Amino acid sequence: MSYLPANYKNVQCTPVCKQRQHAKSNKTRTSFCHACFVTHGILIFCRLIKGHEARNYDYTIYHPLAEISTWMGQMVSENPDVVTLVDYGSTYENRTISLLKIGLKSDVTKKAVWMDCGIHAREWISPAFCQYFVKEILRTYKTDSKVEELLKNLDFYITPVLNVDGYLYTWKDNTTRLWRKTRSPGTDGCDCIGTDLNRNFEANWGMVGVSQNCCSNVYPGFKALSEAEARSVVDFVEPRKNDIVCFFTIHSYGQLILFPYGHPNVTAPNYNELAEISQAAAKAIKAVHGMTYTVGSFAEALYPAAGSSMDWARLIGIPFAFTFELRDEGSFELPENQILPTCEETYAGVHSVITYVHNKIFYSAAITASATLWTTLSSSLLYFTLLYFT
Amino acid sequence: AHTVLYITGLQFVLKLTPHTPAASPSVPGQEDIQAAMPVEELDPSHYPATRAAKVAEHFINTRYGSPFAWFGSSGVKKAGLEVRAKLHFTLKEMTRNQDMGLCSAEVLFHRADERKPPQVQCTCSGAFQVNTSAEEEDLYQRLRNATSLLSGSDIPNSVGHIDPEMAPFWHLGGVASSFIMLRESNESTLLNMAHIDNFTQMETKDAQLMFQYDILLHDMVSQEILKWKLLLSWSPDGGVKVLEAEWDPKCRSCERAHLTVTTGIAAEQEMKGDNNNV
Repeated sequence: MSYLPANYKNVQCTPVCKQRQHAKSNKTRTSFCHACFVTHGILIFCRLIKGHEARNYDYTIYHPLAEISTWMGQMVSENPDVVTLVDYGSTYENRTISLLKIGLKSDVTKKAVWMDCGIHAREWISPAFCQYFVKEILRTYKTDSKVEELLKNLDFYITPVLNVDGYLYTWKDNTTRLWRKTRSPGTDGCDCIGTDLNRNFEANWGMVGVSQNCCSNVYPGFKALSEAEARSVVDFVEPRKNDIVCFFTIHSYGQLILFPYGHPNVTAPNYNELAEISQAAAKAIKAVHGMTYTVGSFAEALYPAAGSSMDWARLIGIPFAFTFELRDEGSFELPENQILPTCEETYAGVHSVITYVHNKIFYSAAITASATLWTTLSSSLLYFTLLYFT
Repeated sequence: AHTVLYITGLQFVLKLTPHTPAASPSVPGQEDIQAAMPVEELDPSHYPATRAAKVAEHFINTRYGSPFAWFGSSGVKKAGLEVRAKLHFTLKEMTRNQDMGLCSAEVLFHRADERKPPQVQCTCSGAFQVNTSAEEEDLYQRLRNATSLLSGSDIPNSVGHIDPEMAPFWHLGGVASSFIMLRESNESTLLNMAHIDNFTQMETKDAQLMFQYDILLHDMVSQEILKWKLLLSWSPDGGVKVLEAEWDPKCRSCERAHLTVTTGIAAEQEMKGDNNNV
């Protein structure tokens, strides 16, 4: 370990850096070897940590799975009061599926927000956004009272990569880059690999927007929840469905904000409210870099499709569920120089939704709570008065 | 610099009438618009409008595309469909982020026969007034005077990077792909060029430059990646032409370019039928 003397706020510890060549883009990246521990804004010491990035993780490049896993560990070690790592399932190839639970500690059960990224392996901007989102709320909650309030009242469950096997496969070489599905084998004599995870959930499973040919990229599986990855989500979310108020699933491409349902004959009871929230989010997105995101129900704005995670979430009662399709409008291989602007605008859109949901729950509930408190106070007062006089 | 034009918004919504047999032209290939037919409004953010806009985009590319002029769409403002979709949209030149003015198009989907390519008519107010002749001539001369044949691969690479020298060939591939995508489009497709596996310049004796491309297209609706081999020619005077095109199926059980994707309740019957066939 190497120590630096205690110092003032905002002092950066000077890292001893290793230069590393990024495998694909040939950009040189710096592996920082120090983590800076700061208490009350005072730099206490720098500690040498193993290998990869610490504070200066590069959110403007795509990261392979191993780096994302390391990064998740670092988010925990750097923010132990608010971040927990939860291993909640495993993939077909037996890899762990993990999420970061982020929120200020509380004695009571909190309402929660779910976000999954990387259901579809080739949509690399999606895991990149989850990482950015985590970074951003952790960066700002100490200084931004609105973010602090969100973390106080809500827990965030963020899965940076849900389809772990598929994501890893897309990093293999340039012939695997456009893989979409899981990596589970075909069944019943059909010898193609993979199921479309976003058709595998129990939400009008197999009814529309699928192909029963296991070679198809929209193959829904031989049955609903055939995929370990989908079951992992269900096993975590279902027991918490009364607490989860907002469900995000992040995809690309298309620049769309979609809400339930994917089945064309089913309309969400809060369709109008979902549309309003989505419109506001699209407006927030446009304000950042001028990009237009189209809004609509999944079935209307994209195509009819059953079995999506969003549809399932809405069906089990999570009131606010959204599918975000990020940049661009024609390609899965979004250039790295668009990662940051895409993340910035998407953050604005997601933040707009979360704020609406939070305020709806906690500000209208607050009125009820104060009324309850007043009633309790007045009846307590009456009781003690009675006691006093008897 | 290159010209990439994008449709940024359809301006009016056209209306959709259900296809009735009586409206079919008696002479195949001859389209009559039944003036009396009621027209139904289409929501510009819904997929019938966005898919029609995509077809209009491919059409524009086949007519006006070049290594320095590649068109795309970025938003439907208004759309409607009778037997055909009528669209107004704003066009944008992508590489310079330049507003190109208003276009109006009619896209006719042949509902009776999905394998017939859509027919498109399109006029734009600003015309395609992007002066790319200097760049085109420059590239053309460089290639003609080069001592070796040019080739490239993996465009863009996995992290979306395209070398600046490769960019015109990315656009050329896109324009050439539009010929295929226009032909392959129907109301149930939304096609984009996803990737160029490789391209190779071929020897030619005449004025046209010739290239062999291995291209991956993406269909949003089926989510399939479609592999196409194209032989194309280009010159500043001759424009882009596709000489040969061949679809390369990736799996034995794929019957043609699009695997059947169930789009309606009839799907259930289809599925049951499928299970019997397996």
